[in-house]
Amino acid sequence: MLIMKDVSKIYRTDTVETHALRGFSLIVDEGEFVSVTGPSGSGKTTFLNIAGLLEELTGGTYELDGRDVSKLSDKERSRVRNEKIGFIFQSFNLIPELDVYDNVDVPLRYRGFDAAERKRRIMSCLERVGLASRTAHFPAQLSGGQQQRVAIARALAGEPRFLLADEPTGNLDTHMADSVLDLLAEINEGGTTIIMVTHELTLADRARRNLFVRDGEIHDGPPELHFAAAASA
Amino acid sequence: MDTGPIWRAMLRNKAGFVLIALQIAVTLTIMVNAFGIIQERAGKIDRDSGLDEANTFALASVLYADYEREQRMALIDEDLDLIRRLPGVVNAVASNSFPLRQGGWSMGLQLEPGNLGPESVSTAIYFVDEHGAETFDVEVVDGRNFTAGEITWSDPEDNTWPAYGLITGALADELWPDDPGPYVGRTVFINVTDPVNVVGVIDKLQAPWESWSGVEKSMLVPQRRPSEFVRYIVRTEAGMRDELMPEVESLLADSNEDRIIRDVTTMDETRKLAYVGDAALIKILSFVVLLLTVITALGIVGLASFNVSRRTRQIGIRRALGASRPAIVRYFMVENSIVSAIGLAIGAALAIGLNIVMVEAFSLEPLAWYVIPAGMIALWLVGQAAVAGPARRASRIPPALATRQT
Repeated sequence: MLIMKDVSKIYRTDTVETHALRGFSLIVDEGEFVSVTGPSGSGKTTFLNIAGLLEELTGGTYELDGRDVSKLSDKERSRVRNEKIGFIFQSFNLIPELDVYDNVDVPLRYRGFDAAERKRRIMSCLERVGLASRTAHFPAQLSGGQQQRVAIARALAGEPRFLLADEPTGNLDTHMADSVLDLLAEINEGGTTIIMVTHELTLADRARRNLFVRDGEIHDGPPELHFAAAASA
Repeated sequence: MDTGPIWRAMLRNKAGFVLIALQIAVTLTIMVNAFGIIQERAGKIDRDSGLDEANTFALASVLYADYEREQRMALIDEDLDLIRRLPGVVNAVASNSFPLRQGGWSMGLQLEPGNLGPESVSTAIYFVDEHGAETFDVEVVDGRNFTAGEITWSDPEDNTWPAYGLITGALADELWPDDPGPYVGRTVFINVTDPVNVVGVIDKLQAPWESWSGVEKSMLVPQRRPSEFVRYIVRTEAGMRDELMPEVESLLADSNEDRIIRDVTTMDETRKLAYVGDAALIKILSFVVLLLTVITALGIVGLASFNVSRRTRQIGIRRALGASRPAIVRYFMVENSIVSAIGLAIGAALAIGLNIVMVEAFSLEPLAWYVIPAGMIALWLVGQAAVAGPARRASRIPPALATRQT
């Protein structure tokens, strides 16, 4: 379960103070598939960064899986990210110098698993995304869809409780996007909580719950409703 | 340990790493061989001359008036008497030379009389009286010192050499390599046919020429030479040298105005002058080694900084996937260790090869066994220190970078 209370994020420079998130509260239950939509600059990515412990929040509290993670040290945040959260990025974010096997291996090494356990998990995840035969390929040798599948395998390898996806189909054509979304839905059916940031309403519809971010505030409800409200405002 | 993936990733971007590995290899090669030369020269500089150098000085008396032989002999006796009676003087002697002076007298010694053949052994000759041994601070380890009665004045009419000699152990060992001592009582021949009876063996007294391979071979001869130019060597009690030097100089200058006193020199100055070339070489080689090490370190800093810039996003991704800051630092440290290990392995092989060539070409000593391992450790540490800055900078890259679009 993910619980955020009065969470705010302010970016400060010497002269400017930007309120990226303005004191919102949110509860995401175990096993939910949540989409987060909103216009550019609304705070979607900031929300994802806060949820994924990639950035520290300025105010409020954040509880993840029963643990207050608002004030963790950098080292503890790294460990929570590694053990409980899987990330899927728009631009796949595979490491170009590593082959598929080593890419999926990256978070597992930080977890400290032994070689046999890592291999079991890597092969299991690559089989799940249909790329077990591509272990020795480098990212540049794969299509966009395949790269995103490797990224999903990497995200799943640590068996995270939460999967955070940032525009996971943003760089894919429709066919590949559908395939990736089918995979995410399948993963969600397995019990993994998924929070997916997207700007495409059709993709957001695939989620069971929709959140809309606007001006740093988060609202529950169908995205069409909020887009319509935003347009008429 | 992430060695496997790091190594495989390095193979995808070899150029920079290969260049740094080669730089490390060349640096190690030059560094350890230069160190070998430095070590050899430093050892040479540190050699014991045999003298009580801290408390010994020399000065020369040059007569410009036309003195008869007997007058010159008398003046030498008077001078030595004046010097020896000074409080704080241990002893003094008139001699043709002394260790490290660079100029002196050498002769060939042979075990049988006759023409000098390949069997003759070269030795430095010091003409002294019975005070020579104490002034030169040599210990007669076997036999005895000269007696006053054995001391002669050299005679222009008679070129025969004195019949007695005190020799260093090193000279004795070379004269009789297969027939170890006792050497006292044995006879050697000098000047082809003149017999010299070994009355004693002294522990150590270097020849005047520091670069001569036979520098440890010397012989004291009981003879004084009444020339216009006389060199006095004075040994003082501990700590009295600097006080007595001007005193002795004035004393001799005032005692006879038909001469000048010059070349008042401490043994420290003599040693410094003798080894000025070696000291300069040490400084130059040390500078070269330091320069190369700094250049290598800068190369490593440059490559690591470039890699941090090139991999900024990748580092952010790793942080997002759970890498702690120490894990990022460790990544760059391991990467540098791999490059260093390759460079050092190549460098060690090259260093051994170069040393073999140098030993054969320049008759240098082979490198001590520990020099190459020590050089490898030193360069590895330099590499790790050099990469630490960029690695720490990399560890500060925020994980949120992973979600920023390129």
